[in-house]
Amino acid sequence: MTHEELEESVPLYAAGALDRIERQGLEAHLLSGCASCHSALKDYQSVAALLPLALSPTRPPRSLKATIMAGRNPEPIPAQSVPNDPARQSLEPGEWMDHLFPPDAPVQSWYLPWALGLGVLLIVAVGGYLVWNVATQHSIDTSNIKQLEASLQEKSTKLAGVDREVGDQTKTIAELRIELQQRTNEAAEAKEQLAQREAELEETRVQYFVGRLSQPGSTRTFGTPQDEFATLLRIPNVKAVSLTGSDMAKRAAGFLLYDARTQKLWLYSVNLPESPTGTTYQLWAIHDKPMSIGTFQINTGETAHLLVKKVASFTNAKTFSVSLEPSGGRPQPTGPIYLLSRS
Amino acid sequence: MDKPLQLATSMIDPTLLARVVQGDQQAFSQLYDYSSTLLFTLAVRILGNHDEAAELLQDVYLEIWRKVSRYDVGRGTPAAWLVTLTKSRAIDRLRARAARGYHAEAATAGQIADPAPSPSEAQADQELRNAVGAALAGLPQAQQQAIELAYYEGLSYAEIAARLNQPLWTVKTRIKLGMSKLRNGLQQWRNEGAPQ
Repeated sequence: MTHEELEESVPLYAAGALDRIERQGLEAHLLSGCASCHSALKDYQSVAALLPLALSPTRPPRSLKATIMAGRNPEPIPAQSVPNDPARQSLEPGEWMDHLFPPDAPVQSWYLPWALGLGVLLIVAVGGYLVWNVATQHSIDTSNIKQLEASLQEKSTKLAGVDREVGDQTKTIAELRIELQQRTNEAAEAKEQLAQREAELEETRVQYFVGRLSQPGSTRTFGTPQDEFATLLRIPNVKAVSLTGSDMAKRAAGFLLYDARTQKLWLYSVNLPESPTGTTYQLWAIHDKPMSIGTFQINTGETAHLLVKKVASFTNAKTFSVSLEPSGGRPQPTGPIYLLSRS
Repeated sequence: MDKPLQLATSMIDPTLLARVVQGDQQAFSQLYDYSSTLLFTLAVRILGNHDEAAELLQDVYLEIWRKVSRYDVGRGTPAAWLVTLTKSRAIDRLRARAARGYHAEAATAGQIADPAPSPSEAQADQELRNAVGAALAGLPQAQQQAIELAYYEGLSYAEIAARLNQPLWTVKTRIKLGMSKLRNGLQQWRNEGAPQ
């Protein structure tokens, strides 16, 4: 045992918790004259001696004192004349004070030095044996500890390997997650770009169509009327209003589209009768009062007509109508209504 | 001789033992008065039997009378010497009794405990008793239990570990820590001006 281990065993010795071999080991160490362990043991013995004070006190029988006083020898027997009990294999916890540091009392007789010398020799021999015994036990314990440490080291190495592997796997998963996220972002970006391209294409097509429609005399430039309106309906933010024929022209119909962004208006009318000479059709936006949008002619054989106008605003208008007016139009409707929107 | 101060543990001083060494019978009588309650309490706690504790105390005091010349103040306080001697002899008896299969419970049946010290007697050591009780009560239950099993039942830490089904080092650590805390607690109590 190292000195540190011996020193640590002092409180256990004072509490009486050491087994015989350990007790003998510490006593052998104390016999060697270790002052620090001696001091520590004195402290702990003092503490241990106070422990019974925590018990509920009980007085001995009153007759006990008289018995004890009567049972004494006339005088205390000198310490050196008290024979040690040979049956005891170790100093008892309470007797270290008796044995480790012999009193400085003067020698009482000629044989005492010899007895003391023999006693010291005996103690040294016993102490040596105890030290050897403890050392042997310590060696075995050390060997066992080394084996356990080697086993622990091996297990620790394996555990570290597993930890490393788990760490690598975790790292790989994290990298894959990052890559997946990047791919997802790229796909989302590509999708967004595709949508943007489609919107741009649609815009281009609409602008192209509007540009063509805005050109004078281009009313018949585009294929069928259905194609034209299909294109017009794809214009963003367009307002659409349908008009139906009045009693004057029950088969007539019209669709009015207004693009707030370009402030342009298209009226596509079908089956309106030919406008007689000296007359013209006039489109009205009616809110509080009718407002003229523009005029157009229906020539002989013409079944469909597209009117394109740029107007400031009629966003509040709820009703639209087409009336037949004298050539050049009028500030207010005066002629019969041919087309009328549903309010 | 049951004066309160005469029962105080602190009255057991080296001077008194020196007088006993000289064969002073009055000093020995005083030593008994000062220490017998403490030692009898300890013996009863260990043996669980008043008659056996009284018998033990008789042997212990006779041994003290014979060996008192061996006591040296440099080796420990007089109280520590008396208590450790009594405890050691009581544990010897306990072990011998256990070897014979003797049970304390049977022996204590029907016995009448002597009365506890009177209030005036208890007052003499009360502050020290309170300090020790507080220090012991301040320990975790496991440390307290381990120390008591070693101290009052004479079990080694290996035997305690087996009884409590705990690892050896755990019991060893509990006892070491517990004793260290007790030492520090009582040292602090002394430093704070405990009555000497």
